Amino acid sequence: MYVILMYDMGEKRVGKMLKLCRQYLNWIQNSVFEGEITEVKLKELISKAEMIMNEEEQDSLILFKSREQKWLEKEVVGYEKNDLDQFL
Amino acid sequence: MKKTYYLFNPGRLSRKDNTLKFTPVDEEGNELKPRYLPVEHVDQLYVLGSLDANSALYNFLGKNDIAVHFYDYYENYTGSFAPKCKLLSGKMLIAQTQSYLKKSKRLEIAQSFIEGASFNMLKNLKYYDNRGKDLMPVIDSIELLRKKLHSTMDVNELMGIEGNIRKNYYDAFNLIINDHEMGIRTKQPPLNIVNSLLSFGNMMCYSECLRAIQKTQLEPTISFLHEPGERRFSLALDLAEVFKPFLVDRVIFKVLNKKEIQVHDFEEKLNRIVLKEKGKKKFIQAFEKRLEETIKHRSLKRNVSYKHLIKLECYKLQKHLLGMDLYKPFKIYW
Repeated sequence: MYVILMYDMGEKRVGKMLKLCRQYLNWIQNSVFEGEITEVKLKELISKAEMIMNEEEQDSLILFKSREQKWLEKEVVGYEKNDLDQFL
Repeated sequence: MKKTYYLFNPGRLSRKDNTLKFTPVDEEGNELKPRYLPVEHVDQLYVLGSLDANSALYNFLGKNDIAVHFYDYYENYTGSFAPKCKLLSGKMLIAQTQSYLKKSKRLEIAQSFIEGASFNMLKNLKYYDNRGKDLMPVIDSIELLRKKLHSTMDVNELMGIEGNIRKNYYDAFNLIINDHEMGIRTKQPPLNIVNSLLSFGNMMCYSECLRAIQKTQLEPTISFLHEPGERRFSLALDLAEVFKPFLVDRVIFKVLNKKEIQVHDFEEKLNRIVLKEKGKKKFIQAFEKRLEETIKHRSLKRNVSYKHLIKLECYKLQKHLLGMDLYKPFKIYW
């Protein structure tokens, strides 16, 4: 499945969250990630994220899920911070 | 599905925060903006430029089961970093060796490979025949040669027939491809555009097959059709025969006939025609797209990608070697 993930966290925890998400998804903008991921891996990511998050401080993480990338239209206005192709 | 990443730019790949960080460098050696690769989503890395890395990185790649393949300046495969082989099986190795040593068994498997390969070639030809290219004479002569496959007595004779089939097949390329002539097949070095694409495409197909074999218990150096020689993983060559027609050849027809790759994507160097970096990227993109395409598998009754199909082929071969099932080569039916 293809997901878009974004989070809003206290300053102390954003760095940890960034590092965690980088292992599973592609970074596209500050606190926004996207990428192909399997259901199991997503569960793994979410459970690890929950360990970092602090509910009392109103941390939140939002996921948009789509079955495949082709069902998702992406439009970039202005500067594209990170392009995701397989060629480096 | 996990992805393959291609490293063209020179740069440094490192382990950072338990994931991969690639820092490209420009000509003056200045570091450019790094890119992070999600480690959980990487299957293998193809290194076509120069790469800086240390053992900490390779340890990390090994743990995450990511292979790295290296290619020299002329796109020749030079070697791989393969993660620790987890799927060792003595039983499988013995079965594979025994099948190789027994002449009749070896011949039987080799015949299957050619049968699958030629069937898939015919499918290609028929496809273009339906689209207004007159390929009937070639199809007929290949059909005729195919009939002789199962009466061959040894592998050399089989290879002879295979050579004839392939010659006919390559002759048809001149009719299928619109603006380019293929002439005869030249390799080491490839002397024109079609040959150059063919060499590059076959190389990609071999490494894809090798990767699939490494994910199973099979031993890549013991082969049946090709002579298991030194210095190469010949089982990957055997397996690639079946897949080349619809993974490589079809992609070549497409990129050339749709003018996705043109003359200016190539350059002449030291008596050979090679793809420029931009051309390589275009071809790889088309090839990757092909690998990710899915088909409905008849016996599994679910959708399977072409990439996965190669691995399924290895499983079928394993079953055959262990005497559990007869190996039938993959034939495209659509």
